[in-house]
Amino acid sequence: MTSLSATIKDVFNEPSCAKNATKSEAEKKKGCTKQLQPGGAAGGCAFDGAKIALQPFTDVAHLVHGPIACEGNSWDNRGAASSGSSLWRTSFTTDINETDVIFGGEKRLFKACKEIIEKYDPPAIFVYQTCVPAMIGDDIVAVCKAASAKFNKPVIPVNAPGFVGPKNLGNKLAGEALLDHVIGTVEPEYTTPYDINIIGEFNLSGELWQVKPLLDELGIRILSCISGDGRYNEVASAHRARASMMVCSKAMINVARKMEERYGIPFFEGSFYGIEDSSDSLREIARLLILRGAPEELMERVENVIAREEARAWAAIAAYKPRFKGKKVLLITGGVKSWSVVAALQEAGLELAGTSVKKSTREDKERIKELMGQDAHMIEDMTPREMYKMLKDARADIMLSGGRSQFVALKATMPWLDINQERHHAYMGYVGMVKLMAEIDRTLYNPVWEQVRQPAPWDRPGDSWQDRALAEIAEEEAEIAADPVRAEAARRAEKICLCKNVDLGAIEDAIREFGLTTVEGVKEKTNAAAGCGACAIKIEEIFEASDIVGLPTDAQTIAAE
Amino acid sequence: MTQNADHVLDHFDLFRGPEYQEMLANKRKMFENQRDPAEVERIREWVKTPEYQELNFKREALTINPAKACQPLGAVFVAVGFEKTIPFVHGSQGCVAYYRSHFSRHFKEPTSCVSSSMTEDAAVFGGLNNMIDGLANTYNMYKPEMIAVSTTCMAEVIGDDLNAFIKTSKEKGSVPEDFNVTFAHTPAFVGSHITGYDNAMKGVISHFWDGKAGTVEKLERVPNNSINFLGGFDGYVVGNLREIKRIFGLFGIDYTILGDQSDVWDTPTDGEFRMYDGGTTLEQAANAIHAKATISMQEYCTEKTLPLIKDHGQEVVAFNHPVSVKATDNFLMTISRLTGVEIPEELAKERGRLVDAIADSSAHIHGKKFAIYGDPDLCYGLAEFLLELGAEPTTVLATNGSKTWEKKMQALFDSSPFGKNCKVYPQKDLWHMRSLLFTEPVDFLIGNTYGKYLERDTGTPLIRIGFPIFDRHHKHRYPVWGYQGGLNVLVQILDKIFDTIDATTNIPSKTDYSFDIIR
Repeated sequence: MTSLSATIKDVFNEPSCAKNATKSEAEKKKGCTKQLQPGGAAGGCAFDGAKIALQPFTDVAHLVHGPIACEGNSWDNRGAASSGSSLWRTSFTTDINETDVIFGGEKRLFKACKEIIEKYDPPAIFVYQTCVPAMIGDDIVAVCKAASAKFNKPVIPVNAPGFVGPKNLGNKLAGEALLDHVIGTVEPEYTTPYDINIIGEFNLSGELWQVKPLLDELGIRILSCISGDGRYNEVASAHRARASMMVCSKAMINVARKMEERYGIPFFEGSFYGIEDSSDSLREIARLLILRGAPEELMERVENVIAREEARAWAAIAAYKPRFKGKKVLLITGGVKSWSVVAALQEAGLELAGTSVKKSTREDKERIKELMGQDAHMIEDMTPREMYKMLKDARADIMLSGGRSQFVALKATMPWLDINQERHHAYMGYVGMVKLMAEIDRTLYNPVWEQVRQPAPWDRPGDSWQDRALAEIAEEEAEIAADPVRAEAARRAEKICLCKNVDLGAIEDAIREFGLTTVEGVKEKTNAAAGCGACAIKIEEIFEASDIVGLPTDAQTIAAE
Repeated sequence: MTQNADHVLDHFDLFRGPEYQEMLANKRKMFENQRDPAEVERIREWVKTPEYQELNFKREALTINPAKACQPLGAVFVAVGFEKTIPFVHGSQGCVAYYRSHFSRHFKEPTSCVSSSMTEDAAVFGGLNNMIDGLANTYNMYKPEMIAVSTTCMAEVIGDDLNAFIKTSKEKGSVPEDFNVTFAHTPAFVGSHITGYDNAMKGVISHFWDGKAGTVEKLERVPNNSINFLGGFDGYVVGNLREIKRIFGLFGIDYTILGDQSDVWDTPTDGEFRMYDGGTTLEQAANAIHAKATISMQEYCTEKTLPLIKDHGQEVVAFNHPVSVKATDNFLMTISRLTGVEIPEELAKERGRLVDAIADSSAHIHGKKFAIYGDPDLCYGLAEFLLELGAEPTTVLATNGSKTWEKKMQALFDSSPFGKNCKVYPQKDLWHMRSLLFTEPVDFLIGNTYGKYLERDTGTPLIRIGFPIFDRHHKHRYPVWGYQGGLNVLVQILDKIFDTIDATTNIPSKTDYSFDIIR
């Protein structure tokens, strides 16, 4: 039994994580301790990450050991879909109280397990650790072990109390729980050469079901999906799959990698978002299965299905061309790879006004340039004001983005379509892209946007608050442009590292002062890129773009002022 | 027995008991000449067909399930909106009992109203004596400050002359000579309750402005800057008028609400019975002549009243039950134009909030089809709002809708791409609506309580907006006018949409994969 801290360290060393691979030895030791910034608006905790990763297992009782806060706020908050049991939606918690905090909550947890088994008899119970019982020393691993033995039923400890770190760490710790206690504990009734695992897919809005018929048609069996519409016994027998697909999110990369290590199951990272991506993923599944001994003819059948589905999807998408003519899209995405959607948008005749590249890699950016041309408007971070200005200049008719930008978009009178997790439509697979076009069409032609964009009719032209705000921006920009000192200051004030709050000027100064040539160096001197690391690309671009080393001294003087 | 003195069941459960079920089954078998169930089923299915619809629409004489009420109901509505005024309906008393119960069931408040209780001999010899006695008794028993007389059909058929009768009654000392008795002829065989509203309101106004039936000098109009407001017949009068007062208050303008029912139909439970409460004072009613302009929220409720007011030199503006953002914009801008006061910042903010709410939720309404029935102005206002939301008001029906209303509705449909497939049905009833709901199905039905039968028979979810609402409580407290009102209507529509989604995704392990917490 590994301790929690050992598990965390292990997770941090994940060799398949691209981010880890770029780290120095010293940093690796420190782990992904993306120190949460006190006072900042925080994302979810490790517990939340673990819970959302495992919650889509539908026939399992998910028991949260802690005070009401943890389960009370997270009960059934994801739109994952189940084709069977709805037990996963039933909220189980030990709801510990003051007495438990003083005397310990282990007995209550044990009893809660007993009562779940008596009342529901699920194939397994997942017990989630939270901050309070972890702090008072409740040993959930021991309790789960005792309960498993006593009731002859898998009771799985998911040891990811909130304080150990952010949501993403929780995802990974959830994966560790599966690896330690679940995967490999049950043998499947039968196996086929076409058995695969899909890892890191949560069947949001039932979107996996849009792809599954194609796999069924090809005779490819999803032996287990972790964790969308998952069943306990399926994931427990996942070790018999021939290949795994790691869905683009890196949330559970450790599961895929360790299953390869332990059971020799090869995996690839793929996605079913976008037409090309779907085809690539199907091909990759076939390739790996054939590699593991499936008949060669599989690939031919896959190619046939791809050809058919692509033709259908492109035809359906092309039908939107007349309605989308001249319409411009602003694409702001987090999880979904921009370029995989860009191709479909362009096929439908939409113009890309810009796309976000915040989480994109260098290759992604290159790909976008290829698709959109050199003058592609790539947006690193867009303030609501910039977003608004872009709209006002008629550079976008609609914004596609995640739910987080929703309210900003609306306040900025920007037509908006949700393409991230909490959406209510499934965009996966070939039909998913067609569905996306249908939704874009609905959104573009929804009369509410006209309403949203128009100021109150009694506002005099040029005198609405929006006009005033825009005028202010223009004025400010003009002033800055006219004043070289302020222009330089504004240029230098651009935030490069959001985690550590480091601006361009500080980085340039450091580069000059210490003659830096690498991101590592910049990090050491300025602390930039020491948080999530996403700005490393931006720092590289600073090296590329500037002749900073040779900056004249008078500019340095200006900078010093 | 399933029921005994220690265990009393209500009717929900009682008649489901075996002994009642057996009794009812026997009765059907032995006495009811029961039809072949297969034949009953065949007919049930047949009335859903276009073939039946064609026959249904050929109906000439018979009205089935009309969506309207009679003139005196509207007259009573007007009367209770004036200070210490009792509605007096000249005619048969049964009618009056209906008005009282109708309003009381909707507003969950007592509604005071008296009748001249005409009987057979009055029908033969005329109702003068009933008027004389009736006014005297009313005056003595209920101590009103004004009596507003309207008529039922009975009095109209025999041609009772209200003006003369009231004059005679005063001569006979039923009420003091200078006591205010307004009147309006309101036969039920003409028009509907909205016509009755119009006639009664016109009666009150001309009484005060035009010399009280020739007993005093006509008033001389000395124009000032205030605004008169006519709400029309309105089931949301309690919430609406309070909202309107708030809006006028924000403008900081002088105004007179002609007919203010918001207090009498919402009296507090504090130990005191208020037969009268609130209302437009008689002084206000008289002084309203000096106003700069009069606004009517419901054009088809004020077709005669507005011309009368216009003849006195005021500007008159009519709206069609504004609910949409655009319609409320127009309403507020009209007030602003008439009074020269700018639209208050608070209202501009409320506008933004409504637009925000619409944007947050419109994806769920966009593209949905609705059937609407109700009074002409309400239908118009709701259809206009739905078009604004990107929904299709596919079927709009008003039993009391006129030809001019039909044209106006059609023009509204023509103004929006979402109105392309929409049809307007004036002078049609709810049995026509039933056919339409089968042959041209919609996603939701908007109407009053009587729509529940249509909901049951056609499976079209009913959104209860209109009058009367008997089977849901307190809807009348929430405004449907102003941006706040638009928000309320939006929420009501959304509630039903989400309830419907939930109700169709709740079968465990079958459809409940979409039984989501977050919508």
